[in-house]
Amino acid sequence: MTTNNTRDLLKEVKDIVTQCDRCGTCLTVCPLFDVKDIEASSARGKNNIARAVAEGGFPADAGVLEATNFCLLCRTCIDNCPSKVKTDEAMIALRQYIADRAGGPGVKYSALGVMMKKRNLVKLSAGALKVVRKLGLGGLVPFGMAPTPFTREQYLSRFAGPAALAGEAPVTRATVGGDAKVAYFQGCGMRMMFPEAVADTLAVLGAVTAPRQVDNVCCGLPHLAHGLREDFLALAKENISLFADADVVVSDCASCAGTLKHIGAYFAGDDAWREKAEAFSAKIMSLSEYLVKAGYKPRQRSAAKMTFHEPCHLGRGQGIKKEPRQLLSAAGEYVEMAGADTCCGGAGSFHTDYPEVAAAILEKKRVNIEKTGADIVVSECPVCLAQLNKAAQKSGGRFKVMHISQVL
Amino acid sequence: MINEAIKEKLRTAVGPENVLDKDLDRFGYSYDSSFIPLLPANSPELVVRPLTTAEVSAVMAIAHEHGIPVTARGAASGRTGGSIPVKGGISLSLDRMTKIIELDERNMMVTAEAGVRTIDLYNHCAAKGLFYPPDPASWKMSTIGGNVAENAGGMRAVKYGVTSNYVMGLEVVLADGRVITTGGKAIKNVTGYNLTSLFTGSEGTLGIITKVLLRLIPMPKARNTLQLMFPSLDDACATIHGMLQAGVVPASAELMDKMSIQAVARHRKMDIDPAIEACVIIEVDGEDEAALAKQAGQIKQIARGFAVAEVRIAASPKEADDIWAIRRGLSSAVGAMAPTRLGEDISVPRDAFPEVVRRIKKISEKYNLPIAVYGHAGDGNLHPSVLCDLQNPEEAERVHKAVDEIFAAALAVGGTLSGEHGIGMTKRRYIADALGEDGVVALKAVKQAFDPKGILNPDKIW
Repeated sequence: MTTNNTRDLLKEVKDIVTQCDRCGTCLTVCPLFDVKDIEASSARGKNNIARAVAEGGFPADAGVLEATNFCLLCRTCIDNCPSKVKTDEAMIALRQYIADRAGGPGVKYSALGVMMKKRNLVKLSAGALKVVRKLGLGGLVPFGMAPTPFTREQYLSRFAGPAALAGEAPVTRATVGGDAKVAYFQGCGMRMMFPEAVADTLAVLGAVTAPRQVDNVCCGLPHLAHGLREDFLALAKENISLFADADVVVSDCASCAGTLKHIGAYFAGDDAWREKAEAFSAKIMSLSEYLVKAGYKPRQRSAAKMTFHEPCHLGRGQGIKKEPRQLLSAAGEYVEMAGADTCCGGAGSFHTDYPEVAAAILEKKRVNIEKTGADIVVSECPVCLAQLNKAAQKSGGRFKVMHISQVL
Repeated sequence: MINEAIKEKLRTAVGPENVLDKDLDRFGYSYDSSFIPLLPANSPELVVRPLTTAEVSAVMAIAHEHGIPVTARGAASGRTGGSIPVKGGISLSLDRMTKIIELDERNMMVTAEAGVRTIDLYNHCAAKGLFYPPDPASWKMSTIGGNVAENAGGMRAVKYGVTSNYVMGLEVVLADGRVITTGGKAIKNVTGYNLTSLFTGSEGTLGIITKVLLRLIPMPKARNTLQLMFPSLDDACATIHGMLQAGVVPASAELMDKMSIQAVARHRKMDIDPAIEACVIIEVDGEDEAALAKQAGQIKQIARGFAVAEVRIAASPKEADDIWAIRRGLSSAVGAMAPTRLGEDISVPRDAFPEVVRRIKKISEKYNLPIAVYGHAGDGNLHPSVLCDLQNPEEAERVHKAVDEIFAAALAVGGTLSGEHGIGMTKRRYIADALGEDGVVALKAVKQAFDPKGILNPDKIW
């Protein structure tokens, strides 16, 4: 993971995928195979296509790229694989290999990469989306990227419980590691689509610490995932420098936190950056992880019945499973959903690349949410929230979708 | 060669969405879970995915008319290349035939289509208190049709037998598309040749199994797990024999040799005394807790007579899971020890188990290749795993010689080439050693009768 030399990338792919015993365990758990049951859709299928490419059986052409892109990177297969074959890393490396050979990942991902690399463009998009949403024109933006907001105020007015009626619950002023300097990492998705949730994250963090706001750049996951590894590394370096003074960096986006926690590994072979990158990764926390460690108590206990959709990058990506549930149990009536940790089909830009497949995956999620009878499905990832909002619309208002910071 | 006109006929037969002909899609149907190399790819010319018996019948009629090879496939979790379309032609994937047609509680039988996953079938029956015992390691992903075609085994075989012990009848599409049913719900059925048995384990070479009728037994009400550690492999085996002779029949009795135990210990970061030569994991089941306690007590006493070093009886379901995790983690733990893990499957008379393990150890020394041995000691089915690097040509040659001798060792003690994985492609060259030339001629006569054009799963078994 240390270089973008194309030959090394192919070796990296081969080292991973030759571990596949082809047993087929992943076929039973892969959300994509569940809706498109053709071998090439499964982790086994993709790993073996990758192996064939690495061993010279197939040219790394557009067809292979298509197969490689058709992956949610949700890691469900890895969780269940007897040999723990890291399909996500293999797919990312193969996408990079193909992009390097082609001189780039193609117009779409290049444009996306440029946009998300520039702070000003991200902010501009966020501003534009804000206006669009204010005008009630969110439906005109494709793929549900301008979801209708459901604010904390609306939530409280609808689900206010006895504690809320009695005024704000006492604030717990716990800190992690004494006078640790805590900084907030604002992800592009949160900035663009859920500014109201960002405000609540800062309010919640403000209850236990004095979070520094840093004008950070993108975590780089979109770049890493789509063949723009150099951009990813450049963004990583910038963020490492920007947060050099912080002791703890908290993100309310599971994908950002998950990516930033892994940055150390990408600089293992870089003497100049290795230590700084490792130190940076070591101080990243997801929001719910931080709040539980800091002993945060929700501001009120509401009458709302809540369920949790566990983002892949939070549960499988970071091993943060208990914390959000613990917090939600304290904030309202918590009910666990069947398949809570199954991917919702959002998966970065997957839902824009394959809207029909993403919709089929989401449909199963919608049914599971409705079965819980929950008023609110809570999550901790902007893409999941945008995706779940589509399910909420389809449910005809049977449930609302909220970021965890909005209900705590 | 399947020309466009034939492809069109096939698309009409099963619907165009159920025919795949893109390179990458065909490649996905070129392999299974055996160690047959991925490249050069054994891609079929066409993948055909029927939804009904009538569609299978139509596909076979077309294939028969044009002499196209057909290789049936479920989840491709087989270990011997049985579902690899080595001669091209059609990969007939039955994984979309997933209906459980009837659970007949009064007769305690279930009828299911070939593509039903084994665990789904098990759970469906278990919900009604009925037990389908065969539990191949692949049961979470493998299909019941594939289990029947390969006559799959599993860990519970010592008490409950293998798949063929439960197959009461089949629906089979013959090579030319005609459909027959064999057997039935009558327990006693001796009308004519036993075609049900003939098709069970026929590895897709005699017909396409589309439906299976399986008998069920009442679900045992209680089960528990024991772990026994022995300083001697012989004593471990002697304990198993002692148990069975005393009438204590465990649901399963799994044995792992020292290399296997240490592989798991490394993989799971456990500390296991290097003096331990064998570990036996036993599952007992019965009417109630008292029956389990009685069996566990008997086993403990017998094991003490054979110098057992440690007996652990699970005190909770969690502890039972912990013990089974050792066995379940074995395959990947052993696999992680070398670039290639060449897992074999031989079966010997129960009392020959220690002898064949000794012979395998000698083969391991002779060829300087680590070989981990584990298996279902209760029924004499062993899985020697040769740890090697097949990309090294010199080593590959030693591996092949070692495997030759492993099979020879199994046959020498009265055993056979396969306990539960079938012959497929990987063991073809040994079959005459096991059955004799005349035996093979007899099998070929059967094949000729059912598949005169030789289109069904060609180049398998012999």
